[in-house]
Amino acid sequence: MLEKLVNGFETFLFRHRLLVIIGFALMTLVLAYQASQLKMDAAFVKNIPLNHSYMQTYLKHQKQFGGANSIMVAVEDTSGNIFNANYFDILKNVHDQLFFIPGVDRSQVKSLFSPSTRFTEIVEDGFAGGPVIPADFSTSEAGLETVRNNIEKAGIVGRLIANDYSAAMLTAQLMDFDPQTGKPLDTIAFAAQLEKELRGKFETDKVKIHIIGFAKMAGDVADGAKGVLLFFLIAILVTAVMVYLFSKSVVLTLLPLVCSLIAVVWQLGLLTVIGFGLDPMSILVPFLVFAIGVSHGVQMINAVRRRVLDGQTSKAAAASAFRSLLVPGGVALLSDTVGFLTLLSIDIGIIRELAISASLGVAVIILTNLILLPLVLSFANLKGAKTPVAQRAEACGAPTGVDWIWRTLSRFATPKYALMVLLATAVLYGFGFQQAGQMKIGDLKGGAPALHQDSRYNQDTFYITDHFSITTDVMTIIVEAPPEACTYHDVLAQIDEYEWLMSNTPGVESTASLASIAKKVNAGFNEGNPKWQVLPRNTASLVQAIGRIPTTSGLLNGDCSVMPVYLFLKDHKAETIEVVVAKAKALAAKMDTDSLKFKLASGPVGVMAATNEAVAAAQLPMMLYVYGAVFVLCLMSFKSLRATIAVILPLYVVSTLAQALMTRLDIGLAVSTLPVIALGVGIGVDYGIYILSTMSVKLRAGMAVQQAYYEALVERGSAVIFTGLTLAIGVSTWFFSALKFQMDMGILLTFMFLVNMLGAIIILPSLAAIFWRKAR
Amino acid sequence: MPYRMLRLVCAVGALSVSALVSATPNLDPLTSQIQPLAVSSLVLDIGKAGDTLVAVGDKGHVLLHGSADEAWHQVATPVTSLLTKVFFLDAKLGWAVGHDASIIHTRDGGQTWTVQMQAPEIEKPLFDVVFFNANEGIAVGAYGLFYRTLDGGEHWQEEFHQELLFEEDVAYLADLKANDEAAYLSERASLLAHFNRILPLKDGRLLLVGELGMLAVSADKGRQFSRLELNYEGSMFNAVELDDAVYVMGLRGHVFKSDSSLQAWQPIAIPASSSINAALAGEQDDLILIGNAGVIIEVNGSGQASLLARRQGENLVAMARDAKGNLWLAGSQGLFIFKQ
Repeated sequence: MLEKLVNGFETFLFRHRLLVIIGFALMTLVLAYQASQLKMDAAFVKNIPLNHSYMQTYLKHQKQFGGANSIMVAVEDTSGNIFNANYFDILKNVHDQLFFIPGVDRSQVKSLFSPSTRFTEIVEDGFAGGPVIPADFSTSEAGLETVRNNIEKAGIVGRLIANDYSAAMLTAQLMDFDPQTGKPLDTIAFAAQLEKELRGKFETDKVKIHIIGFAKMAGDVADGAKGVLLFFLIAILVTAVMVYLFSKSVVLTLLPLVCSLIAVVWQLGLLTVIGFGLDPMSILVPFLVFAIGVSHGVQMINAVRRRVLDGQTSKAAAASAFRSLLVPGGVALLSDTVGFLTLLSIDIGIIRELAISASLGVAVIILTNLILLPLVLSFANLKGAKTPVAQRAEACGAPTGVDWIWRTLSRFATPKYALMVLLATAVLYGFGFQQAGQMKIGDLKGGAPALHQDSRYNQDTFYITDHFSITTDVMTIIVEAPPEACTYHDVLAQIDEYEWLMSNTPGVESTASLASIAKKVNAGFNEGNPKWQVLPRNTASLVQAIGRIPTTSGLLNGDCSVMPVYLFLKDHKAETIEVVVAKAKALAAKMDTDSLKFKLASGPVGVMAATNEAVAAAQLPMMLYVYGAVFVLCLMSFKSLRATIAVILPLYVVSTLAQALMTRLDIGLAVSTLPVIALGVGIGVDYGIYILSTMSVKLRAGMAVQQAYYEALVERGSAVIFTGLTLAIGVSTWFFSALKFQMDMGILLTFMFLVNMLGAIIILPSLAAIFWRKAR
Repeated sequence: MPYRMLRLVCAVGALSVSALVSATPNLDPLTSQIQPLAVSSLVLDIGKAGDTLVAVGDKGHVLLHGSADEAWHQVATPVTSLLTKVFFLDAKLGWAVGHDASIIHTRDGGQTWTVQMQAPEIEKPLFDVVFFNANEGIAVGAYGLFYRTLDGGEHWQEEFHQELLFEEDVAYLADLKANDEAAYLSERASLLAHFNRILPLKDGRLLLVGELGMLAVSADKGRQFSRLELNYEGSMFNAVELDDAVYVMGLRGHVFKSDSSLQAWQPIAIPASSSINAALAGEQDDLILIGNAGVIIEVNGSGQASLLARRQGENLVAMARDAKGNLWLAGSQGLFIFKQ
């Protein structure tokens, strides 16, 4: 039935081969144009699990409280003292420039120069105060001295001024939409603006500009991602050399490479067609598509050339190779696709995009490398092709190097060696399982995890956290209450108690809320006497204290029905977040009332907490789906449970070892590393399918396991090993990426591709030797 | 297998540890008053119960510092209001007062406490408490709040010290009392100045300092006060007596010194303009002053003041020396040793 379909398909295609090729060429032109329109795209919301309950809270209150998409600009005077005329001139210019960059929410720009930066002092008859930078400010010595005193009185040292007075801070919230165009804010263009308008214009020997915030990080990530082009070229070159060594023919080298590049072009073009941009994370997909394409292409040229050497015409050889490879190749690619599609189950935008673009790419390979390639090959003159390495050995009859390798490998299919291999595998697995259990969730290092520790962005982050009492590791608990709730002592007392108990949590360095600030304001109203640092029970006094706190403080909204509690954490490691989240939840459960709700969580760490939870929760279902899909596909193509298990068991062992590797290398399970195992399994299954599909035919014919494996190796072994190497080379160039997460992904994928290949040629035959023992 | 064994051992270990912890009552971090940060959050006074220092502060916190080690140990109290002052009559008997007109009492040097009074509804804090003997004591606070006990705190009687009203207020109140009793009572409740500190002097008199430059002295255990002239209208927060001199201190760096006549207050110039909250005799004939904006000031024997240190963003409120001679300071960031 399936055979008939394939035959009919083959007859049709090869009859109209020229037309089909022309069709492919036209399609490539169209999609190449589309691909040229592709834009880098790194929207903030794509990185977060939008349906997570924390993110619902985050989105609900983001407009009022800014949420997590803010930037900080620290302007440093390298002399170590900001009180000089030159510095203040520059700071003023930076403030004005920042204010006018499109996308900045102008009502939320805070710096020494913003009018909301005021000081208050207590005098005999009440309060006195004014803007920190007075209206008649001049950069004269006296003017600077006034500002210095006002800074002290305003209590902004550590926030807007560095603790050692060597720098000043500007902060701004970003809007999600560009107010001029109404389109979503182009984060990467915004980052480029920051670089050009702030650092480009104002950074000198005397003044250094440090910029951090999601938008800047996304921009730096996008810049780092550009280096990928070079890696892509290197990968193509190395792959070309390898294919040439394998095929010893320029034509047979070029054809699979070109077809694979066509697949890449199609994949990129289709992204534009369906309205996606290229995310720094999904930039790995073209590499995968290319490598997978080449490996299937090599299988194809290998099959065609064998047949040509057997005396067939190019056309007949290509048609026959097409027939024999469409099903196993199709199944392998389909299982890749399904493996990628399982990633759709994860509720994080960029992982879904990765899933879609990767499955598109792999599906495209079916067209370009299983259909287009044999069609093109049917036109090629392959008579001059040299005998490939493996066959040459066979022809000579003597056991040469390569044949010796196959003979040696085939011993793994004997019961004696099989037991040894399986024992070793079991030990490895045991070790791997123990280590995998210690795999950490989330980011394990300080700074932005996407970037290396020594990147400019992370250096800026470290500068700012060292010199200011600011941390970017902020989690916000949102307190929702009825309107005017802050005029009730009970409500604020409850918030105060919540904040106090949260501040007594390991990992929480400091806290802030309307309640704790109101207490200080109340002391202020009582001549600054610390003995009055309480929430007044008297409503008039309470209202008086609250009234001093503007909504721009971020501590309350207009009718004070929403009052966040800010938790400043010591870092954003997964363990820290877990402890804080657990306590915050337990306290909320205890302290929530009908009208007062403590809701998790906003702020950068709130987002991380949600992401960590989503990633941790997604891991098991994702593995179940990907293994389930691979299982069903193998079962369908082999119609044998034994064969299916023989293919899947090594994969499982290798996935576990990959997790152990993550533990050993301090790579956390994160948005970037979560998809790696699905990708590794989806692609890794190909090796097993290729080897076992040859073996199972021979086994069914009654051949002994060792001989069947040997023959499978002769036919497919070099292609399988070659595939493993090509894939590994494609992703291993990422070790040198400017982006930490690409490096992590590179390491893990290289490991998965190589070790899955070893699993297929070592563990799989050993399992076969046990499973098919009776067949002998 | 070894791993499993190891895990088993760990699990058993963890179990026994958790058994130990849960044996100590009331340590649930979600409900306990005992919290690790109590020692570094607002502390307003340090008293002395023999060799033990007893600090009081935010949320009814009481912390003890024995001579055994440098650490402070928090003990549970029956109140959660901010405690402002603690007084020990001897090594055992003590009282602490605070917001919500709270008075708590210990009979074992601060280890355990019971409530003697609590009146959140009057919306006034108590700021000081003094006992003359085991039975008779007074507690003072905001808006002229004044209580006396004659039975060790079992019962507290409120007193209204009309003699400390301004003259125009006296007339106004008398007028009101004749016409509208309810308005009279409500006005009376807020007309007096805050009584910030009541200091028993060596000669048996009582010195009361308070809001708006209020200074008064009593020779009959606080039954009747007479006002003293200060020539400054800002609030006074504290007073100390050293040798034969009395110091009062308060708003905007104002410190005054008088001899025991209490009639000749001379300002002392200090290099700070923030409130001065406390003073303590130094080690060499000098005086240490602390206050808001983290200032620590030394006034030497000849009256010269100098800034010893400034703790950014911190208000300093109380001082005490422990048995080893360490100088402990307390304030908005809790307790710490100050090394000169």
